[in-house]
Parts: sequence; structure tokens; C-alpha cells
Amino acid sequence: MSLSNEALARLLRPDSVHKRLYTDPDIFALEMERIYGHAWIYVGHDSQVPHPGDYATTRIGHQDVVMVRGADRKVSVIYNRCPHKGAKLVPDGHGHAGNTGKFFRCPYHGWTFRLDGRHLSLPLKNGLEGTNYDPADTDFSVNPLARVEVYRGFVFASQAAEGPSLKTFLGGVISSIDNLCDRSPVGEVEVAAGGSFRVLQQSNWKVFYENLHDTMHARVTHESSFEAAREEAKAVGEMPFELLIMDGNGEPYDFWEKLELRAYHYGHGYMEGIFDPAAATRDPVSRAHFEALRAVHGEDRARAILGMNRHNTVLYGSGSPHTVFQQFRVIRPIAVDRTLVEIQTFRLKGAPDEVFNRALTYANLINSPSSNVMPDDVEVYKRCQEGNLTQGGDWVSMHRYVGTDRALPDGMVSTNGTSELPMRNQMAAWRHFMLGTDVTAPLEDEETNRAAA
Amino acid sequence: MLLLDRSFDVSVQPVAGAELPAEAQRAVERFLFQEARCLDDRRLHDWLALWDDDGRYWVPRFQDQASPFDQISLFWEDRMLRETRVRRVENPRNWSQQPKTRASHLIGNVTIEGLDAAGHLIVRSVLHYTEWRGEQRHLAGTVHHKLVATDDGGWKIRLKRVDLINCDGVFGNLEVFI
Repeated sequence: MSLSNEALARLLRPDSVHKRLYTDPDIFALEMERIYGHAWIYVGHDSQVPHPGDYATTRIGHQDVVMVRGADRKVSVIYNRCPHKGAKLVPDGHGHAGNTGKFFRCPYHGWTFRLDGRHLSLPLKNGLEGTNYDPADTDFSVNPLARVEVYRGFVFASQAAEGPSLKTFLGGVISSIDNLCDRSPVGEVEVAAGGSFRVLQQSNWKVFYENLHDTMHARVTHESSFEAAREEAKAVGEMPFELLIMDGNGEPYDFWEKLELRAYHYGHGYMEGIFDPAAATRDPVSRAHFEALRAVHGEDRARAILGMNRHNTVLYGSGSPHTVFQQFRVIRPIAVDRTLVEIQTFRLKGAPDEVFNRALTYANLINSPSSNVMPDDVEVYKRCQEGNLTQGGDWVSMHRYVGTDRALPDGMVSTNGTSELPMRNQMAAWRHFMLGTDVTAPLEDEETNRAAA
Repeated sequence: MLLLDRSFDVSVQPVAGAELPAEAQRAVERFLFQEARCLDDRRLHDWLALWDDDGRYWVPRFQDQASPFDQISLFWEDRMLRETRVRRVENPRNWSQQPKTRASHLIGNVTIEGLDAAGHLIVRSVLHYTEWRGEQRHLAGTVHHKLVATDDGGWKIRLKRVDLINCDGVFGNLEVFI
């Protein structure tokens, strides 16, 4: 089947999408080009490269890239490719450029590059005399990604020279990044201390995004973990934080119906918090955190910062920050049926140690590969991947509360917390990137589909 | 948070030597084999009973990780969390345990390393571990047990530290104790 825009548009309905979106390698390849080749994608946090010459590798779509701190302390993002023979300039991971941190040196033929990728030198230059070799020509440099912007330490890159600014792209969801940082009394976070987990899901990247605000799955998929937590709480006679964060998924349906789901243009959104950390039986953390913020900002502002209780935020294409527990689940598509999730844990600079301890506990219990909660998610994602390869039907339903979400100037808000608004909103962004449709048009807008086709 | 009580001694460097008669050394080995067999046979309640009440199960995320208090860990579990994991994998609606994980532990190179500051016996072993759930995977690494002597001449686990050679790698689910 061809992948003309017309054919792609036929894969979208106001309330459902064709299963090929999750299973077709050709569509995946196009997504890498049209979504990951254009959108602002989170590269990493600048605290991962604290000193000039420090680098950290990652992937933007199907591209291996290097985030590096320059001599001028500016962070650059370059493709991990030496322009000579194409060797990856640095191995995967993090480190310090060259021996001195002053420049990159390719391990193959010794070509050297400034920290922003510009050509520096190569051995036996006389051998290139009389050729088209030109150190100023980008053909002889490590190429940078087209655009890089840093927002409060969060480094984003876009592979497209043209497009909305990072702030325009993020829109109202930027408030989640702000709140994550504002929870630090000095307004700054760092990722380096805690490190990150890397977990592989055997499913398409969009399945995970859709799950992040899927309130209808919690008490079904996670029955084994919330029941285990509840039984254990009964046995130990209290509900400590460690169990509270597993218990939340077991809330009854009417709890989820009352939650607010907020959708912004370009596929972003957030869902309201599902547990109040202060509800744990032993919670020395929230009070100390509040006091630290009050000392700097006063009572009202401290209350406003900690009162913004959001569960998962979605930054479409990048992943899911969790502001309250200082995590960022960075989602990296690897193949049509393989998704790598890198989970970063942040330290709030200047906050009491207990706040980091709580983040560490949340990371270890919820986001580690050993999580008691995540395996059942990963299992159902894999079942979706495999089930969608059968011929037992073509469409993936996103009908729930379609047509009832309220429009706002910068997106939409659910009138019922079990609405599949977030999924439809992500698909509207998908359509925008894949077919060039108006980013403000909801998936329900069939006229937009017809125009695209 | 008791889980992050820094007074818990996670060090596996001995502060004193330990001389054990050959028979006692064999008893320590048998204890390790018995522990592994509980996991292989999925007798998880028997496994839970091998632990000291204040024991901790630790699988570091980093090579040579100094402690579970400043960095993330693949597992860092006290009794409450070990019990919770057992409750979860035994729950009939544990979708990701259908089929169940099957495990095979091979333990070797067992050496008595010495005693920690509190007099716990530090035992080092090498683990080769194969697991199957739909697909097969192999994990390997070094295990340190810290054992508490019991009144009846047996042992309880105070600390089990599993340093996987791929601790900083990419993982699928780790659902059961390694």
C-alpha cells in the first residue's frame, strides 16, 4: 500500500485510527522524518554536561546525537558522525571530549573538531592540497542539529531550520517544566546525581504516550500491584509512601471520572494528580519542603507551587515529566515495535534531602525495570502490538467522550476524566506533522482530514 | 523513610577475617543453594522466611555503587517491599506473569570474605542466572550475602547484593528476585 498523504489521511477517523499506525515500518520511517525531523525533542538536561567538554549521547528519532558543553559553556547538539568516513565520533554514553575536553578527535584518522562540531584540523594536511578540501565547508565539520533551545536547563533540539519556537511549540504545557523547577527553592534542578534507568518496551512509541493519560486502564491493568500494596498495608498497619504510590491506581471509576485532563496543541497535555504525597502515613517530606519554599517565596507562593499537583505530563515526542516526584520518562522510538524509555530522576537544588529521597524511592519503585507497577503496562502494550498484527479488525478505538471536550484558546480540557481526549489530541498533532494540517484542529474535525487527503 | 535509613550498613568490605571450619563453610554454601532453590522452585514464602527482619535486598544500577541512598537502584527492598513483590506475582490478575517467569540459578565460586562491623558473615559468590518468560535471558554477576547467625545454628540474610555485569544496560521487566 502506498504512503501518499491521501492514503495516510484515510487511516484517521474522528474517533479512531487505523492499526497500521502502530505496526507499519514504513509509517514509522515517515514518522522519524516528519515528526522527529521537525518537532522540538528533549535531548537532555544541561546538568548532564556540567563542564566544558562534557558530552552525553542520545537519540532524536532515528538519529544518534551528542549534547556537549562548549568552552563558552553553551550547550550544542551535534550528529554523532565524523564527516570523513562517517564513524561515530564518540561512543554511546557520556564522557569528556578528547583527553583535554577542549576538542573532539575521531578515533579513526585523527580529524579534530571544536566542541560545537566545527572543523579544527587533520593530520598531514598537505595531502589535501589541490583538492576541494575546505575547513570552512560544512562537509568537513560535524554537523549541528538545525536548532537548539534551552529552557530552565532542559535542552531541546529541532532538526528543522524553520518552525515554531520552543515556547510556541510547548504552549501551556511549559507550566509543568516551570513547576518542576519551581519546586526547588532556587528554581533549579539537576539530573546528574541520580542517574537514569533504561527500560525497553516491545511496542510502538505511540502506545506508551496514549497510556500516560489513559485513566480507564489503571484499575484493570494494575490490579495485581494495587491489591498487593493494599494487602501489605493491612499487614503492616499503615500506608507508607512506598505503598501509597502503588495504591493510587486502584481508585474507583468515579474518582477517575472527576480528574481533569488538559490537552494542548502539538500533542501535549497533563493529567491532574492522583495521589497527594502528604497522604502517606509517614510523611516528613512535604512539610520540610513547604518550609524551604516558604522561607524563599513566602506562604502564598509556596502553597501555589506545591499545590500544583499533576500526575503525568506529556511532552509529545519527548516523553513524560512527573513534576511532583521529579522524574522524566524520556521516550525514544527505536523501531515500529521497540521503544526505549530512559527515566531520569532530578534533584531539586536547595530542597531538603528528604525530597530527593522521596524522588529516589519513587524512581526505584515505579520507574525501575523492577517496578511492581510497570510490568503489567509493558505486558498490555506488547499484547496491543501483537494483537494489531492479526487480521481481526482494523481500527483502534478512541471513542470515549468524543465530542464532549471543551475547547480552550490553547487546547482542550476534558469534561470527564476518562475521556480519550489525550489520545485524540496526540493524533491531531500526528496528523499535523505527517500531513501538514492545522495544528489547532482537533481529530474530530473531519474537514481537516479531507483537506489533507 | 526507613527504606533510606543511612545507618544501614551496605558495605561488603570485611573489617575482620572469619575462620570457618570446613563443615561450617559447607553449611554456608548449602544455605546459598537452598536460597536459590526457593527462587527456582518459586517457593517465595520460604524464600521470605530466609531473611532477617531488617534485611535488605539490593541490585545496584551502577558498577561499584557506593550506596542505594544517593543513586537509583534496580532493586532496593526491605521486608515490606519483598512481601509486596511476592503478593503481586502471586495475584491471579498479574497479567505480566502469565505465563510465569521460570528461573534457574547457578551459584559458584563461593568464598567466605570475613565479617562486617556488626559481625555479619560476608559471603561472595558468582551467579549465572537464566530466566524464561516467552523469551529467554541470561544475567550474570557477583553476589554478596551478609548473613546473621541464628540461635539454632542457621543463618538469616541481612543483605543480598547482586552486582550484575550489565547493571547499567537496557532491561525489560525484572519481575522476580534475581
